[in-house]
Amino acid sequence: MAYFSSDQEVYDTIGKLIQQLGEDEELAPKFRKANTIIQYSFRDPDSVITTRLQEGQPSQVDFGETEMEPEVQMSMDADTAHRFWLGKVNVTVALARGQIKAKGPVPKILKLVPLTKPVYPRYKAMLEADGKTELVNVA
Amino acid sequence: MSQFKDYYQFAHPTRVVAGRGMIEGVGFEFAKEGAKRPLIVTDGILLETGLVAKVEQGLADGALEPAAVFSEIAQDSSAVTVAACAEAAKEAGADSFLAVGGGSVMDTAKAANAVFTHGGSLLDYEGIYALPREDEGMGAPLAVAPLACIPTTAGTGSEVSFGAVIKDSERREKILIADFPLFPRLAILDPESTRTLPAALAAATGMDAMTHAIEGYTGPLWSPHGEAFALQALRMMRDNLPAAVEDPSNEEARGNMLVAASLAIVPGAGGTSGLGAAHSMSHPAGAMYGVPHGVANSINLPHVIRFNAAGGPEIADRYRDVAESLGAEAGGSDADVGGSLAGWVGELTTRMGLPQRLSEVGVPEEGIADLVEGAMGDGCSLTNARELVPEDFEELYRQAL
Repeated sequence: MAYFSSDQEVYDTIGKLIQQLGEDEELAPKFRKANTIIQYSFRDPDSVITTRLQEGQPSQVDFGETEMEPEVQMSMDADTAHRFWLGKVNVTVALARGQIKAKGPVPKILKLVPLTKPVYPRYKAMLEADGKTELVNVA
Repeated sequence: MSQFKDYYQFAHPTRVVAGRGMIEGVGFEFAKEGAKRPLIVTDGILLETGLVAKVEQGLADGALEPAAVFSEIAQDSSAVTVAACAEAAKEAGADSFLAVGGGSVMDTAKAANAVFTHGGSLLDYEGIYALPREDEGMGAPLAVAPLACIPTTAGTGSEVSFGAVIKDSERREKILIADFPLFPRLAILDPESTRTLPAALAAATGMDAMTHAIEGYTGPLWSPHGEAFALQALRMMRDNLPAAVEDPSNEEARGNMLVAASLAIVPGAGGTSGLGAAHSMSHPAGAMYGVPHGVANSINLPHVIRFNAAGGPEIADRYRDVAESLGAEAGGSDADVGGSLAGWVGELTTRMGLPQRLSEVGVPEEGIADLVEGAMGDGCSLTNARELVPEDFEELYRQAL
């Protein structure tokens, strides 16, 4: 059974985390060095998050439809995304298996992977603070 | 005993035909893959060596008719060249592609084949598993036209890999496309194809192949299938690389190096384990200072070996296997094995006349900061034997400078 039952649940958890990262004084400038717009297309439940990571531009995160034009599109199950932010997914393996499909300039995404490590405990803490403890202990 | 891996995959769908005189049989072999009118993709230099004429004769002998010859490929291909190649195939009524050349030629043919078959532009397929698929992108990838490759360097291994890298002049970046249909259907390994390869190029491309095998073997995503390919590749390089460089008339050594290079790429870039930090360092050195890829790998490899082998006993043991396969001293402590293997590589590259320092090939000290940023952002860093932070890359570049 999928971890999330609706697109709104995805936006309230993964979407909320991505919004927080966009405003983080330490991490946001590093992520913006990617200088791109990334769209995450999730399945089960279907949901879309688009985020602007561009130097000199304010953070922007859209849920669902967007007017931003993504340069990189990442598609995966919402469960895979959730497990990734908990630090339980090896991105290179997930790409090799096709669990994550990447369309566009993939190196821009791979460049960000090392930056995500400090985010894993933060995501866990956010879930716990929001009372979503059932989402923390996943395989 | 090695652990049973949680996951790995292995694919080698390319049919390899190796032997003397196989170019004469290219038509016979390619017909088995369904080709009737291939577009020959090559470069201007190879056109002048007479090799392409032999390939055309080989096609005719197999009752295949070359649709046309496309030879407008520079050392670094581009998205514009890919579009022109696909268009040339359409205009000539081609039904397949036959690449005769090095990595740039083969990658151009792969990318042009995707555009030729599916339409659109190269950027439509940029990414990993981004080619069209059944079932709204979740099912089997759609086939592309048959592609055969005749590599003319023993290095890149593109003739048996599912990826292609193309320069995008506009974005000043490299475009990566990687998907299963891009595996060539056929690779023909005939020492005749490297008969005119200059010794310096044979040495540099050979070191690229050696780096593929070592990084594919030592990375964290190693697999038993990959091990078999990597270790045999290294044994063949030990016996044939210096001979192929020092005596270009040695057909035996040249042929074996073609086989070794096609084995070496499989663990790292055949959809399995990925490459490592030597490649991470070489990619920006090539992009920023034009350092030839094989030369950069040759310089960077010993420093990365020392660094990685000091990363713990499990990693050191994998370097011990590499050292044994190459005939280098494999005993002693973890640091010893890294040092002796790095020394062995340095002696080999010195003997082959390759540059030993990045500063010899135009890399300035003030470029290190940008190089470090480039290396940290390179995908190969994620599959290196040891995790790296920027300070590690800075130190490695300083050692290599």
